[in-house]
Amino acid sequence: MSDLSAPGFPEEEVRHRARVGTAAAFPPPGSYGQVLLGAERPPAGQPGPDAGDALDALRIVPPVFVPQRLARLIDLGREPDYRDVELTTGIGGFTSALPVYVSATGSTRAAGGDLGLALSRQAGALGLPMVIGENVVPVNGYGRLGEAADRALLGRLRAYAEELPDGLGGVAVQQSTEDADAEVWNLVYSDPAALPLLESGRLAFELKVGQGAKPGLGGMTVLDAADAARLGDRYGIDPVFGDDSRVLRASTPGTFTAEILRQQVRLMRNNFPRARIWVKLHPGRDVAEAARVAAEAGADAVTVDGAEGGTGWAPGVFPAQVGLPLAECLRRLAAAGPPPCLLVSGRMWEGGRAVKSLALGARAVGLGRAALLAAAEDPEDGLIRFADCLALELRLLISALGKYTPAALERADVWSPDFPE
Amino acid sequence: MTTDGPTPATGAATLPEPGRHLTSPTTRAALRIQHQLLFAAREFLRGRGFTELLPPIIGPVTDPGSRGSKQVDIDFYGHRYKLMTSAILYKQASLLAFDKIFCIAPNVRLEPLETAGTNRHLAEFHQLDVEVAGATRDDVVQLVEELVAHIVGSAVRELLKEFAELGRDTDAFAELLKGSFGRMRHAEAVAELQGLGHPQSPDAELDWAGEALLSARRDRPFFVTDYPKGSRGFYDRENPEDPGLLRNFDLIAAEGFGELCSGSQRTNDYAEIITRMRETGENPQKYRWYLDLVREGVPASAGFGIGVERLTRYVAGLDAVWQASAFPKLAGVVSP
Repeated sequence: MSDLSAPGFPEEEVRHRARVGTAAAFPPPGSYGQVLLGAERPPAGQPGPDAGDALDALRIVPPVFVPQRLARLIDLGREPDYRDVELTTGIGGFTSALPVYVSATGSTRAAGGDLGLALSRQAGALGLPMVIGENVVPVNGYGRLGEAADRALLGRLRAYAEELPDGLGGVAVQQSTEDADAEVWNLVYSDPAALPLLESGRLAFELKVGQGAKPGLGGMTVLDAADAARLGDRYGIDPVFGDDSRVLRASTPGTFTAEILRQQVRLMRNNFPRARIWVKLHPGRDVAEAARVAAEAGADAVTVDGAEGGTGWAPGVFPAQVGLPLAECLRRLAAAGPPPCLLVSGRMWEGGRAVKSLALGARAVGLGRAALLAAAEDPEDGLIRFADCLALELRLLISALGKYTPAALERADVWSPDFPE
Repeated sequence: MTTDGPTPATGAATLPEPGRHLTSPTTRAALRIQHQLLFAAREFLRGRGFTELLPPIIGPVTDPGSRGSKQVDIDFYGHRYKLMTSAILYKQASLLAFDKIFCIAPNVRLEPLETAGTNRHLAEFHQLDVEVAGATRDDVVQLVEELVAHIVGSAVRELLKEFAELGRDTDAFAELLKGSFGRMRHAEAVAELQGLGHPQSPDAELDWAGEALLSARRDRPFFVTDYPKGSRGFYDRENPEDPGLLRNFDLIAAEGFGELCSGSQRTNDYAEIITRMRETGENPQKYRWYLDLVREGVPASAGFGIGVERLTRYVAGLDAVWQASAFPKLAGVVSP
């Protein structure tokens, strides 16, 4: 257990999964034959709709006729079941064991220290791609010249790579406008510790254009005054809290036009030809246009963080009132023709929301808060058990739709009266 | 002589012991050729009215436009300073003092580890940097042509013994010494490479293998001009008649030796520089001194930098560029 909390997020459900793994996908086995389930919405401990969320409000709608199951039946020579769903997925140039990656959790204290390392180790063991947040280096250092290794980027990189199975996973290192100063990408690209990932095609650089928690703003963290003095000439330090001990550190969001985004992506490809290039967008109203520009300029993946997303610390008005919900982002992206590899995040933790996102055009979903909570619940195996449960749910749902790969999911697999096709 | 082959596995690169390197006849001959090239360059440029300046080694900001390499941070009394990756910002600023300047500038770039085996990258190297107020790209292309023909001619005339010792046949420079180098646009280079089955991206700089491939097919140095935006730093001027293309060039040696020199007509308009900084992922805030200067006005200009060790390698016909340095530094290799 840790003191990490996530008010408003299904924290207890995530912790439950991190403790018990696949069993959490079902009602308690002791209730079998004794409790009549189904009238609760949602049943206790189970994923269920948040009335205000269009993605949650969608229902997954299996068909009666299942031609793809027939194809799989012919292939296998027996009736396929949910265990025959192949979840291995190409994500932004990497191969992932699941259509899932671990989202960026930056320098924020919640993701620092042992928790950041536990998360990295377990993500590596699972073969899930992992994003390392933009300001880890400027705030916590790189770790080569004696900074506290647990918080620094290098510590996370090593913890991840040590557990990584051959051929799976990969690390995407974020950089935003402010940390261009720290040259995070250049540093990683020329570092011996990153070489095994680079040489096996498992290193990506993610250009962070924005994030779901605070669209239109740059990164924000709360620092104690001593740390602030150290960073003072690089970041905007603002004493908004009215006491001397803590200050707000606010980065600028960076200025983008279509041409600036296009050329930045091209320059990344030019400068780092052996790395994959990812672009992360906030849920802006022009998200579909921005995704198109990034993909056409050669990004291997475009990540869209819905307004529900983000572990990042944000002014209250932003999560409450700013940015498009993920469902609307997906609708706009689908209407415009989604980028070839669309990754989405925002309140992901269970199979239903993930399957709906995949059906609406995403290639994979990112775990942010859920991954942190699961690793906090059990630093050894919490995320691993949690991912086992998620994988089982994905298999159950995808097979129920008569399909056996995430890529086969389509718009017709989900329905709601308020979300016309 | 060897040309750039496939990159060997990192870690394969080694350097000889310093004592053995410095006393080797090859090193001595190569450094004498380098000395002569620099002597002749100074002679040529002074004759054309250039002033030699001593370039700074550290500053709050340096050239970001070096492909994939990392800058070296310096703790300057609590401020983060950089070792120069190139003198470009200072070259433009120096035109406030003189219209035509040059310098022989040390540069440090922590290149990606894979470059240790390319035979053409050093982590520490020198550039013969030239900047001319009021010049166009084509003016400086012509200047490079005349300069290179002059200095190579001078070395060939003065150092017969050294060339013989190195086994370098100076007939290789017959076309070069006539002073007319080839010219091709970046788009033509891409088309030629793709025609040869080399997967060259049309949006990027010519990759090292591609450059060597073009170089090996030619008997004299040649210019590649009009690189696309997204492949160069913010200071290369975009062509207003052909948006998306830059008024810049590289000079590429014959015989597979690859790039010797990069240059361009410069952006000197404040708003354009800020916009181009964003297009190249830079944070304008850290370029404060430079932007303040540009806002007040720096002359329009064009210029270039010739890699001194690379030029020496080409002229001396050396296998690797580190042989053209008395104290070579390769990516990831610890050496004095």
